[in-house]
Amino acid sequence: MQEREIRARFRQGDPDAVRSVYRSHGRLVYAVAYKVLGDRSLAEEATQQAFVKAWRAAQSFDENRELGPWLAAIARRVAIDVYRREAVRAADPLDSVPAGEPGLVSTPQSAEAAYDVWEVRQAVAQLPADEQEVVRLQHLEGFTHAQIAERLGVAVGTVKSRSFRAHKRLTTLLGHLRE
Amino acid sequence: MSASDNDRISYLSGEPVTSLTAQERAELDELRTLLETPAAWVQPDPGLEDLVVSAVAREAEAERASGVARGAEADRATAPHEAAPPVRRRFSLGALWRRRPVIALGGLATAAAAIVVALVIALNANSSKPLQFAMVVSGTPLAPAARGSGTLTKTESGWRVELKVTGLPHLANGRYYQAWLKNSAGILVPIGTFNDAQNVTLWSGAPVTQFRTFTVTRQLANGNPTSSGQRVLVGIAHPVH
Repeated sequence: MQEREIRARFRQGDPDAVRSVYRSHGRLVYAVAYKVLGDRSLAEEATQQAFVKAWRAAQSFDENRELGPWLAAIARRVAIDVYRREAVRAADPLDSVPAGEPGLVSTPQSAEAAYDVWEVRQAVAQLPADEQEVVRLQHLEGFTHAQIAERLGVAVGTVKSRSFRAHKRLTTLLGHLRE
Repeated sequence: MSASDNDRISYLSGEPVTSLTAQERAELDELRTLLETPAAWVQPDPGLEDLVVSAVAREAEAERASGVARGAEADRATAPHEAAPPVRRRFSLGALWRRRPVIALGGLATAAAAIVVALVIALNANSSKPLQFAMVVSGTPLAPAARGSGTLTKTESGWRVELKVTGLPHLANGRYYQAWLKNSAGILVPIGTFNDAQNVTLWSGAPVTQFRTFTVTRQLANGNPTSSGQRVLVGIAHPVH
């Protein structure tokens, strides 16, 4: 199915289109939920709820718009709801909680960065697989170029050039986040 | 590209760069922080796709069963609010006391009794209702026809997991199913083995409030009790409100 056809069928409420939309956007929805909740199980729950809500609201979706940002907004809202529910469930009786208790804040601070994570994830997805892996090992795992070279079995110079190309692309794609 | 742009990229890619100002470094560090956040890299469980599709299919089924189309609900949601109910005439309690002291006292006593009864009933209802989770389970590519549901109920003995699944073949002759619960750190707890999933009761000593991911693997009775990794069924337990 083409992207436009998927959007149209999703908008019509076709459940089969849900699988296609999940394959194209599910990881991004999950990333937003995970950023807000910081827990894999809760993020999976929020992802399910987000898709159900999106499907229910699909008829009001303008098919000329991109699905991604719309789904991101739904995922963020759902994740905040899950966060609030879990905060209530885990809370002590209110009388015993100090007024400054962070748990009383109704929205997780990480929700603010949820859209940034969405953009980073989209940008990284546009890199070739070998460059993605170098960026992941460098930033997520904290490896040096030499360690990455050893891990991947390539020359350090190759890692450096892949890293430079990848970050050049990322600064172009994500430059607006610094503005 | 200016030398400054090259320096920025080099800094981001982990090269030692001394020409950048503190402000430039701070800006680039924000981007580095985003790239370092696990959410930018975390991958969902492969079974989540089936869970999402199942959740929407269940919603569609419920919609068909209720006969209420989403459009109708959307119309309701966007329609002007219904006219407010007629405002009830307010009685002055003081005037009532003055005019009908006996009736007023009787009425208050009746109302107070009703409130007490309602509170007792509500408290009893809450205290007798066990903590319960529910889940929809879906087959993985190893068992695409499998689907079903489960309820997970907290008891004095532990969590009772009642599972009803269709589309999962009967296993025998040294082959069996093993059910697991997993927490967010990925720790697996075995909760029982079985041959047929149509109607199974399993027990978990680990709290479902923390171990919410349910999986079933195909196992071989070969003396190795660890997970075979051959997952046939996945689900996530949600609290029942």
